[in-house]
Amino acid sequence: MTQLDIVEKVATAFSAGTILVGIVGLGLVETLTGKPFGAAPMTNDAGEVVATPTVDPAIRTGLVILGLVVLFGVGLYRMAATDAAGTDTRREVTAD
Amino acid sequence: MTTCEVRQMAYSETNPLANEFGFDVGGPLAAAWIALLRVVTGWWFFHSGVTKIIEGGLNFGYGPAYLQGMTGTALGPIPVWMGNNLAWLIKPGVPLFETLIGLALITGAAVRLASVGGAFFMTLFWVGNAGFGHGLVNSDLMGLLLFGTMIVLGAGRYFGIDGVLETTGIVDKYPKLRYLLG
Repeated sequence: MTQLDIVEKVATAFSAGTILVGIVGLGLVETLTGKPFGAAPMTNDAGEVVATPTVDPAIRTGLVILGLVVLFGVGLYRMAATDAAGTDTRREVTAD
Repeated sequence: MTTCEVRQMAYSETNPLANEFGFDVGGPLAAAWIALLRVVTGWWFFHSGVTKIIEGGLNFGYGPAYLQGMTGTALGPIPVWMGNNLAWLIKPGVPLFETLIGLALITGAAVRLASVGGAFFMTLFWVGNAGFGHGLVNSDLMGLLLFGTMIVLGAGRYFGIDGVLETTGIVDKYPKLRYLLG
């Protein structure tokens, strides 16, 4: 299998970045800014919302989906730009 | 060269991960684990789809309603539009495609193509369930990442039908099929 070209390297790095920012980076922000520590609003016993997440979960999920879509695009690009996907290169190995 | 060294070499020659990862590829554990993950993921989807068919046939009425309720998500108006306009496809498509995706992964046939479908389903489940009561990283996201793993590793080549299909003449003639198999 050929190495990643510059377009694929940039796109892959961008994907990894958006996915990690969405999950880990903004997750850390959510944690450090106090309750709720997760992506869901806090409610009291009556079911009323008493605190909402600092970062809208739609932003975080959007970053992750963006990263995955770009990765999918890398796959399509490779499919268009190269002859074949990596094979398992099975070869007979003689024990001589 | 000792017999043991020859065996190690033989494993490396037949394992497509040999040049990709640093963990021990001297044994068959990595390949078996990938195959196991694939079959379990496949069973998960097959069970979900086939039980819908048993209960309601190819008429999953909750599907369009679920999508119509996906307002204010990262996917914008797309799911709502799908729920309003593609009910004719979604009602039979959800149980049918879940079942077929599951069968593909269980048998290891056209795993990459099937996994793209699975990832599409899991994206809608992850964003649509949207409660995130147990955090953003929940089982739906893990399912989505599992399908990504199937695609990246070409999991159908491990004890799967894709390993056989890729040795056939038609794949030799059209090698890009490996992007859909594997």
